[in-house]
Amino acid sequence: MVNNPRFWVSSPDLNLLAATLPLYSRALFTAGAMGTACAVLSVIVVLRRWAFIGEGIAHAGFGGIGTGWLLSLAFPIFAHPGAVYAVAVLFCLGMSLCIGYVTREHGSAEAFGDDSAIGIFLVASLAWGFVALAIYNRHRPPADAEMWEKYLLGTISYVSTDTMLASVALSAAVVFAVASLFKEILYYAFDPLMAQVSGVRVAVLHYVLMLLMAMTIVVGMRIAGSLLVTALLVLPGATALMLSRRLQWVMTISVLIGLSGSLGGLVLNHSVWPFLPSGPAIVLVLFAEFVIAYVWTHFVRRLFSTPSV
Amino acid sequence: MPLLTISHLDFAYRDRLVLKQVDLEVESGSTLGLIGPNGGGKTTLLRLLLALHEPTRGSILIDGLTPHQAIARGDVIGYLPQRPAIPQQFPLNVRQVVQMGLVGKTGMLKHFHRDDLNFVESLLDRIGVRDLADAAIGDLSGGQQQRVFIARALAARPKLLLLDEPTTGIDRNGQQKFVEFLESLKREMNLTVVFTSHDLRAVSSMSNRIACLNLTLHYHDTPEHLPAEMVYSMFACDLEAVRIRDAKR
Repeated sequence: MVNNPRFWVSSPDLNLLAATLPLYSRALFTAGAMGTACAVLSVIVVLRRWAFIGEGIAHAGFGGIGTGWLLSLAFPIFAHPGAVYAVAVLFCLGMSLCIGYVTREHGSAEAFGDDSAIGIFLVASLAWGFVALAIYNRHRPPADAEMWEKYLLGTISYVSTDTMLASVALSAAVVFAVASLFKEILYYAFDPLMAQVSGVRVAVLHYVLMLLMAMTIVVGMRIAGSLLVTALLVLPGATALMLSRRLQWVMTISVLIGLSGSLGGLVLNHSVWPFLPSGPAIVLVLFAEFVIAYVWTHFVRRLFSTPSV
Repeated sequence: MPLLTISHLDFAYRDRLVLKQVDLEVESGSTLGLIGPNGGGKTTLLRLLLALHEPTRGSILIDGLTPHQAIARGDVIGYLPQRPAIPQQFPLNVRQVVQMGLVGKTGMLKHFHRDDLNFVESLLDRIGVRDLADAAIGDLSGGQQQRVFIARALAARPKLLLLDEPTTGIDRNGQQKFVEFLESLKREMNLTVVFTSHDLRAVSSMSNRIACLNLTLHYHDTPEHLPAEMVYSMFACDLEAVRIRDAKR
């Protein structure tokens, strides 16, 4: 993995500090940033019922990675893993806009509906990714199967200084964007039609949200993997919404769940079971939190609550 | 002076003409009841006023603005949909829902103005949900939710209030209360109201002007002068409704 901190920041002191951080610390920073950004957006994704859209954008990563590898056959500059990742990022952003367009402008008006439209993009990306991989393997030794698995399931070994700084910057941008547009996003999530007729520019907001989802997915793909990154956009929000119906608490709990899940998963991966890929470890911790919250709200809390007459 | 002027309006949905040659003026401070059969174009007309559709021909002016301009300003039109489809588990309280009516008026990247927030507080008192201001919106009854959504529609202090079938699903007693509530709000805020309804009783009690819409505008006058034949032809012999209207005369 080649580090090129100059690409992301210009301050030499910051570069030096970041470059001296060991891999594990970089992974923790990245996971923390990713967990926070995903958790903030997760509440909106769950309330807007957009989990499947997240799935569609995340699977664009397969197509993107496949495209990057294919390009590397023709142009040596794309042989760098960072370049492959950059192609995947562009693919995800492009796919988010395509899905955003279909779901906003056509999905519900077409006979096949929103979910089918997303499903079509999803399988097309996946299929293209596997075709590209097959073509790549035909021309290069198939030693990259391991790399493929790392893209699918995530690994902290790919967290370079560049990745860490990019992840923190992207996560900060996502949190800042959501905070800046929070009242509009909330209205759009609560009642899209009324938001529109109240003067909210819902079309712009829709595409901004699609891009923000793509950015969090891109950030999360390195550690959680393309296959499982959507869990980070669903589980923190779903868990928080079970535990509270007050907006401030929901947002706070979601961030705490996202942070504890992503950091806890990494600690589990690094300290307890190093043979685990990082993505499944993070998702299982998030899932455990979800199950605990479910049991608490559906069984334990009801057991101790006084039935109202 | 008319607040709303509709001139030579045609609207076609795909190949089907839904509205044809509609001309209508609504005076400032008046209440217009729009009646007509299902599919007659009432809701379509409201959607045109809300800039959710584009006229195929003709023009609409609301306080001198096109519907798009009026919507973009955020404080010209207030709207109460027929059955607001809201997720009942949404983590918002009553106050936050009413404040949402200010989002368009306030604009992106800005905080709500203090006097707008004060007005929202006064609306909570006005609609009688002060004690429920911190309750989750999903915990309210249907009637309470409707009052909250009216408050949301009024939060930006609009000039024109559009109501889509506001009395549907409300019993006679509730309808009477709703009419009184709307009248007092109208007086206080100098509102112009346009509403759609199937219910002739509601229309005659709420409005001082009535318009019958079935593809085109068949009648536009006071409810008292509405000819029975018009009602027969539009509603396919809704005898009960006509009898009630006649009895009221």
